[in-house]
Amino acid sequence: MNNVEKLLLEFKKKIKNLDTIHDLETIQIIYLGRKGLINHLLQSITNLKSEEKKDFGLKVNKLKTSINQLIGVKRQQLIKKPDTASYFDITLPGKQYPKGSLHLISNAIEKISDIFKKIGFIRMTYPEVEWEYFSFDSLNMPKGHPARDDFETLFIDAAESKKYGKMILSPHTSSCQVREMMRVGKPPIRMINIAKCYRPNWDVTHTPMFHQFESLCVDKNINITNLKGTIDYFVKEYFGEEFEARLRPFHFQFTEPSFEIDITCAVCLGKGEISGQQCKVCKSGWLELAGAGMVHPNVLKAGKIDPSKYTGWAFAFGIERLIIIQTKMDNIRILYDGDIRFLKEF
Amino acid sequence: MNIKITHNWLLDYLDTDATPQEIQKYLSLCGPSIESVTKMADSTPLKLRGTNDYVYDIEITSNRVDIASVFGIAQEALAILPYFGKKARLKVNPLEKYKFNFLKKSSDRNKNLDIKIKSDNLCSRFTAIVLENVKISKPPDFVRERLQFCGIKSINNVIDISNYLMLAFGQPVHIFDYDSIGKATMIMRESKEGEKIVTLDGKQIVLPGGDIVIEDGNKRLIDLCGIMGGSNSAVNDKTNNIIFFVQTYNPKKIRRASMTTGQRTVAATYFEKGLDEERVEPTTVYGVELLEKYAGAKIASQIYDIYPNPYKSKSLTVSITDIQRIIGVQVSKDKIIKILSNLGFNNHVDHGRDELVTVQIPSYRSRDVLIKEDLIEEIARIYGYHNLPNNIQSSVYIKQPKEAELMFNLQSKIKYFLKHLGLNEVMNYSMISEKMIKKSDLIIEDHLAIKNSISEEIKFMRTHIFPSLIMNIKNNEGKADVLKFFEIAKSYIPKKGNLPIEKYQLAIVVNTNIDDLKGIIDSLFTELKIEKYKISQSKFLIFEKGLQAEITIDKDWIGKFGQLNYLIKDRFGLKNNVYLASFELEVLMKYYLPIGIYKAINPFAQIKLDLTLAQNKNQPYSLIKELAFKTSYLLEKIELIDTFKNKITLRFYFSSNRKNITEQEAKIELEKIQSKLL
Repeated sequence: MNNVEKLLLEFKKKIKNLDTIHDLETIQIIYLGRKGLINHLLQSITNLKSEEKKDFGLKVNKLKTSINQLIGVKRQQLIKKPDTASYFDITLPGKQYPKGSLHLISNAIEKISDIFKKIGFIRMTYPEVEWEYFSFDSLNMPKGHPARDDFETLFIDAAESKKYGKMILSPHTSSCQVREMMRVGKPPIRMINIAKCYRPNWDVTHTPMFHQFESLCVDKNINITNLKGTIDYFVKEYFGEEFEARLRPFHFQFTEPSFEIDITCAVCLGKGEISGQQCKVCKSGWLELAGAGMVHPNVLKAGKIDPSKYTGWAFAFGIERLIIIQTKMDNIRILYDGDIRFLKEF
Repeated sequence: MNIKITHNWLLDYLDTDATPQEIQKYLSLCGPSIESVTKMADSTPLKLRGTNDYVYDIEITSNRVDIASVFGIAQEALAILPYFGKKARLKVNPLEKYKFNFLKKSSDRNKNLDIKIKSDNLCSRFTAIVLENVKISKPPDFVRERLQFCGIKSINNVIDISNYLMLAFGQPVHIFDYDSIGKATMIMRESKEGEKIVTLDGKQIVLPGGDIVIEDGNKRLIDLCGIMGGSNSAVNDKTNNIIFFVQTYNPKKIRRASMTTGQRTVAATYFEKGLDEERVEPTTVYGVELLEKYAGAKIASQIYDIYPNPYKSKSLTVSITDIQRIIGVQVSKDKIIKILSNLGFNNHVDHGRDELVTVQIPSYRSRDVLIKEDLIEEIARIYGYHNLPNNIQSSVYIKQPKEAELMFNLQSKIKYFLKHLGLNEVMNYSMISEKMIKKSDLIIEDHLAIKNSISEEIKFMRTHIFPSLIMNIKNNEGKADVLKFFEIAKSYIPKKGNLPIEKYQLAIVVNTNIDDLKGIIDSLFTELKIEKYKISQSKFLIFEKGLQAEITIDKDWIGKFGQLNYLIKDRFGLKNNVYLASFELEVLMKYYLPIGIYKAINPFAQIKLDLTLAQNKNQPYSLIKELAFKTSYLLEKIELIDTFKNKITLRFYFSSNRKNITEQEAKIELEKIQSKLL
């Protein structure tokens, strides 16, 4: 028996006892691979006399074909046969990758920015440490207004500006309104500003620093129906199609008319009660969400915009409030505690 | 502010077929928000007239103190309910009924008052009347029941009547024991700093100065006006003669006094909003009527009524075009006039032009209806916001300043990248404590201070994020073994004579090791496609010597990183070492590329050769790299493969972009490099 026949015989013996595709693929490499037995055999052709070479070449090729055929047949058999030999616990955890987290506020900011981008609003940023003028005077809140006193606003220990008054931490994002009017010079304005705000309150429902997002639209022929439409759009995009928004009369110095925005309570789903008990979270099925209104003519004037030609709307949401509604969180301070057990949840 | 009133009480003034639930729903949509309606249980022992009552809890906005009363809500209901198909009619208008001339004339007016008001900015209307023969006893049932339903404790007939009046008309009143007041004298003046008064609740209040007070003829303070009366002149069981006292005060002074003394009484929340002087008259008259009826009181003095600037009726004009332009729907002139007159704004001028509507402003609205937009609001809310369509305004292109766009994009990219590397984003307060600043070897004077901070913890505006991040590690000790945080926030760098510079910073903290931190920084820079940054030794005090560096590109300073020094570590009481890095986002923004730069793929062979070197203080990796690239043009890149003890193994990649190089050629290149190294 020559080497070629020996090899084939051996191969047949080996392939017979195989029962997994993996083993078949291994043997395939052993015989047919670049550095496999067949190629090795072919290399011995250099030792042969030239008349023997042709015959040997033909035999090896035939061998190769046979092995290929045998593998093909075996592969078909094995594919049909269930693989019982190897066991892999697919329920074991996979390789572990690190898992970090984004802060809930970052998530909300991104979502809000995207929602407003779709209807043509740009995002801007304005100072958090502000002059009284931009946070109050320009917003139609004259000196002596309760919001301007020590109990509602944090003051910075710095020299007063002759032009703009005292230095403060802005208690709301609305300070951006007149700044944006001054920046663009002339409407149209479509802007959102998402920023940190500060007030001297610290308890379960208040933190001395919090986030608001302000939306401002000034143009020709902007009216209440536009404000209503935009709020409805935002609420449905942010919370879902099943949520309704409503406007109620309210009072703010820098808007006229002013509204409070309510949305369907996420806990009782707007019913106002849960199995006969009054819902503890909302007021008769509605949750207060934000303040809004038509920009007060004095504010437009402060921004050098003619209120007889242009009108506008503005609203401001507390981002923490959005998060509370979304997550049903009961303690807002946890957002700023940096507790890893909390951060990891998101 | 919130008020509570009852349904039956409302029906004293309002004739309607609306149910309490309907009233809640419709008023909330068009007027004050009625936050809840609660049915008073049948078991209530005080059940009266065989009917049940309901309590409304109503939020009153700061501009509408005129409706913070039963009658005020009746007025709103009168304007709102008809548009929901409900009947609404006033049974009686107390503002018209209760005039001073309604009071019985009495010949025996022997109890006089000596009144002095020291300053004309304290009290816009001062009204008082002495009543005698008062019998302190139980209040009438309906008064007691209604007050209790509204959350006010019943005390006696006289006190209960004063509270009843406040809720009925929205005008707080005070009642003094006439005989307790020295020489029947009342001197209204501003308090001096440090003066003391014991109020009705027994608290001794040290006055901040500038508060409105009343001094009697014996130089005793008997009233902290608008907030709470003095205990020395309070009505008691033996009281026979009283002063019935109805005022409107300077709202700013009341708020100031109430906030600084911490006496947030219900009366103060009314007075600080500015009350209608015209309502003093009906309140006084109705009050006397109730006291006569339920306390046996008899009028014993003239009516003292000091009212230097009586209300003069004002009018306001608005055009139909403006109304429609702002509301966004066509509201007819007839409807406009109807809405306004139901609210008490009577149309009194015929311009002969259809375009304009002029109305008179009732006194109780004169503080909040000042410009035409205020009238438009009244029309819009009664028309009903729920009746308006939703129309998103048409879009126009607004150019966002590029730097704003890039800054937000960069932040988002960094946040997601670090999150995916396994870091947790934190958000800390922008304000920190003096202690944290000092512990971190920072200087107090470099920080903006908050004048009226409510806590020492939040007194200074951060110039660095590090102190907060160190605290984050400290506070999480024991909660997880591996801690890796980052924060992107503004720093506030004071600037003389101007607002501070607010610059975004990125800061990272880990409690693992410096190699881990350096790896995070390197991969962040790779992600941001920032290649040519230089890392050099630095000498920041906050970091440990030799375990820190700064990062620059050309002349721009980008950031720093290192191991927190042991001194600061101990000051914060940290168990393990922490490693910190911070970056200026504006500089990162300058160099970062959103996508990489295209380079044609080199089709020629690449030869990899490894080299193990001993570490040498005088030859850091940055120098090896610099020398290697200077020496060999065929060097493509270097990788750190391994570090073992003080040895490092580097992998050098050689290739040419013109031909396939041989292993031999690469070896020669490596030898050249080696010859330059120590």
